Amino acid sequence: MRLVVAYLLGVVLIFGAWALVSFSLAWAKGRPILPYPWEAAVAAGENIWTLLSAFGTSALRFLVALAVSFFLGLPLGLAVGFESKLDQFLSPLIYLLYPMPPVALLLFLYLAFGLGEVVRLVVVVMALFFQVVVAAQGAAKFISPTHIVAVRSTGASRWQLYWHVVVPATLPNVLTAARVSVGLGITMLYIAETKLGILLPPSGGLGRFIEYYTFRADIALAGVVALALLGLLFYVVLEILERQLCRWKYVGVKGGS
Amino acid sequence: MIEVQDLSIVYGSGREAVPALEDLSFNVEEGEMVAVVGPSGCGKTSLLLVIDGLIRPTSGRVLVAGEEVRGVRRDVALILQDAGLLPWKTVRQNAELALRIQKRKENVDGILAALGLNGFERRFPAELSEGMRRRVGIARALALRPRVLLMDEPMANLDSLTRERIQNLILDLWWEMRFTGILVTHDIEEAVFLGQRILVLSPRPARTREILENPGMGSHDYRGSPEFLERARTLRRILEEQG
Repeated sequence: MRLVVAYLLGVVLIFGAWALVSFSLAWAKGRPILPYPWEAAVAAGENIWTLLSAFGTSALRFLVALAVSFFLGLPLGLAVGFESKLDQFLSPLIYLLYPMPPVALLLFLYLAFGLGEVVRLVVVVMALFFQVVVAAQGAAKFISPTHIVAVRSTGASRWQLYWHVVVPATLPNVLTAARVSVGLGITMLYIAETKLGILLPPSGGLGRFIEYYTFRADIALAGVVALALLGLLFYVVLEILERQLCRWKYVGVKGGS
Repeated sequence: MIEVQDLSIVYGSGREAVPALEDLSFNVEEGEMVAVVGPSGCGKTSLLLVIDGLIRPTSGRVLVAGEEVRGVRRDVALILQDAGLLPWKTVRQNAELALRIQKRKENVDGILAALGLNGFERRFPAELSEGMRRRVGIARALALRPRVLLMDEPMANLDSLTRERIQNLILDLWWEMRFTGILVTHDIEEAVFLGQRILVLSPRPARTREILENPGMGSHDYRGSPEFLERARTLRRILEEQG
């Protein structure tokens, strides 16, 4: 209940600040620059079906990209962090590729994959994949040796060691990293849907929606709000997932030991 | 049941080589309980890890039930210092862990009840007292009904009352389940309370320094008896002599 109130208060504050900025800009420049929140709300209402469709498409796109990033990045990151031989060979490679922004490669990605759905997913996956790999690798390096000995002494196979120790031990860190990289992922999604989405209708993604209505500031702004809500949605879902899957982290003595 | 023959372990190689055990030999009879004491860092834990098949000896060999140990044996269980529970598993899941990994179907209700853990099956280790956590560690090992139980300081860092309670518990379980036990400890009273024989190791690299017979052990009342105190004094003297 208190959480709901806090969020409502947050919304009111943000809209208040937004209105204030709109007013100040209009006053300083002598003409309207940033539409007021209520103008954006009316614009959203008028284009609600296009907007909802764009939101749904973007959400699905992001979900698929996130799932693919986990599916590919988690095993690789865990193995590289846990198997010291792999670590030696692959870590330099990962660290060289990690800071490379996929945005800089848009031209080549376009040439390689065309302007279809695949290229947009590739851009988002390239950004999220390395986040997952680096988080999983870091977490897998610091697994308590006692836990490993405890499980190995029962005669566990390599797979069982991963299943009973490596995956559950690293899951909280990996999910936290995923949550933190939602912001980056949404940015990449926006870029993929604008730069590589020019063939799409406005309902084909929020990035495309915003770009399509570049000259209707109130509608475009409604799209920006929707994009922010999309980020929030994934942030919250990942947090709930972490609380459910890593319940052991939240029990026992609070604070202190 | 357990034969340790000319066992040596050297960690690392070349100039950085650290010998942990050197030409160590001893036998443990079936159903016997042997306590191993020695200065800290002398290689006692390494000894257990070799017997459990987790590390390979540099030279010499270990036989369990007449067979040379070449990997983890399923009839040998290990209790770790600080229990080594997995924090993401509940009490029941931790106790069942070894059984599940070995794809065995037995359930752990009996052993959990015997260790006073019923009612706590769905708790996580973080919700338990230290003494309870140690008992879950014991349950995990005993759920396998092992022929050999290796114990690496299972009572370390416990308050004295809890320590005595768990010592009594291990003694009772030994009478009941008749496993062959090796208990590594640095606590003199504990070695005398639980060891039918007490193997005293020298400082690193560990060699057998002395084997002390302790036929009087076996009941809760032994603790505090004149014979117990006499053994403890002898053991203390041996340990102090080596500085």
